[in-house]
Amino acid sequence: MLSAFVRAFRTPDLRRKLLFTLGIMAIFRFGSFVPTPGIDYTNVRVCTEPGTDGSVLGLVNLFSGGALLQLSVFALGVMPYITASIIVQLLRVVIPRFEALHKEGQSGTAVLTQYTRYLTIGLAILQATTIITVARTGNLYPDCNLDILVDDSVMTILLMILTMTAGTGLIMWLGELITERGVGNGMSLLIFTSIASSFPSAFRQIQLADDGAIKLAIFVVISLLVIGLIVFVEQSQRRIPVQYAKRMVGRRMYGGSSTYIPIKINMSGVIPVIFASSLMALPVLAAQFADPTDSWVQWVSSNLADPGQNIYIAVYVALILFFAFFYTSITFNPDDVADNMKRYGGFIPGIRAGRPTAEYLQYVITRITTAGAIYLAIVALIPTIAFKLMGISTTIPFGGTSLLILVSVGLETVKQIDSQLQQRHYEGFLR
Amino acid sequence: MLTRPTRKELSHVTALTIILQVLLVLTSFMLVLSILMHKGKGGGLSDMFGGGISSSLGSSGVAERNLNRITIGSAIVWGIVIVLLGLIQRFTF
Repeated sequence: MLSAFVRAFRTPDLRRKLLFTLGIMAIFRFGSFVPTPGIDYTNVRVCTEPGTDGSVLGLVNLFSGGALLQLSVFALGVMPYITASIIVQLLRVVIPRFEALHKEGQSGTAVLTQYTRYLTIGLAILQATTIITVARTGNLYPDCNLDILVDDSVMTILLMILTMTAGTGLIMWLGELITERGVGNGMSLLIFTSIASSFPSAFRQIQLADDGAIKLAIFVVISLLVIGLIVFVEQSQRRIPVQYAKRMVGRRMYGGSSTYIPIKINMSGVIPVIFASSLMALPVLAAQFADPTDSWVQWVSSNLADPGQNIYIAVYVALILFFAFFYTSITFNPDDVADNMKRYGGFIPGIRAGRPTAEYLQYVITRITTAGAIYLAIVALIPTIAFKLMGISTTIPFGGTSLLILVSVGLETVKQIDSQLQQRHYEGFLR
Repeated sequence: MLTRPTRKELSHVTALTIILQVLLVLTSFMLVLSILMHKGKGGGLSDMFGGGISSSLGSSGVAERNLNRITIGSAIVWGIVIVLLGLIQRFTF
């Protein structure tokens, strides 16, 4: 394992890519500490002292690696890009043109990516405005009365919005650079960086509590167990055998091989969890702007703001289950797969080509996604419940969500490095 | 830092701040525009979290390389201006 790392760095091509990726990550982290002009940095420092957590924006803050609450130039992080991609993906169902573009293949996907990028900038403006408004009214840090902005003039606020928007654009570009010239997928690696960076301080916080050492040990054990479970399930797949008929094209022989369609148990990855948590944050955010004495606002803040509440858990699970099925149905189209197989003379043994194949695939997918969706919900909840029972304050970094993201991004990246390594040597990381 | 800045020094500082702010606005716009002009690489969410293998479309032409230079240039200026503004604010208030 370790020697594989050494070998990865010995390969000049791969070394350049790895160093490039690490460099971009460093720039990203550095930018998370640079305050936006117009912010009173000393006051922000006082307000973000450990212990005073603005839990309203918990997950969003986590995704930006704590940059959001510091109101740095990279405050918005990758969130606008994620939201934009989610919206574009969902619009495929609604707008026929998007679906047509997606079917078109590479050129169509490029156009869709371009739409996503425009939308990202638009969303960045919107979110920057929201954040700065919240900061101006003092709701960003509920238990802190210091002024966060240096002055309230329209010019300064516009300047701040502009800076944050440009920062978001820069993050998007950094992510694309990693995808293009580094290893792994840039955007997910940036999320990975943000989440991983919040771990040390969270460790420290647990350790400082009563019986810190014991709790830390229990926590580490639980996390390792969950990580093991996640790796196991993410790697497992159902293999549907496919037999290809032999056929002659000109003088060459094609096909005649038997292969399989791999169907991952959890095909939608962490996306349902991300969707669900983003949606859960919406009512709480909306409640920020409303009159705090309204009955619905009080209901929201007592039931939906705290991840430990029963109603929160129920709604969260329901959303995860729904999105798991929804996203799988968007990404995997049994009719298309069946069609393609028929065209190239393939069939699943025992099942006729064409419609019966599509129905069979649909049947398998539905059953396997049921298992996958339940797994996702359990993983997203187990740590929360366990830590709640143990009395560790469940600060977000240890929710199953972040572990899930860390593990699946890590796995994906290692797989990519592995495949690059195998272009030169046969032994990789994973055996 | 220890002696309070005189009024004349302060006016210098305000002039500098305004210049920097104008520069910040210009570079921000440059940055956003030049980034949007790039062709997006790596599409969509399915790619992000455990999707298929992304095909690398390596070739970058001359236009793309110039665009890269513009983007990097404005990003660097943008960063420097922000740090300077932060320093000015830190030491005048």
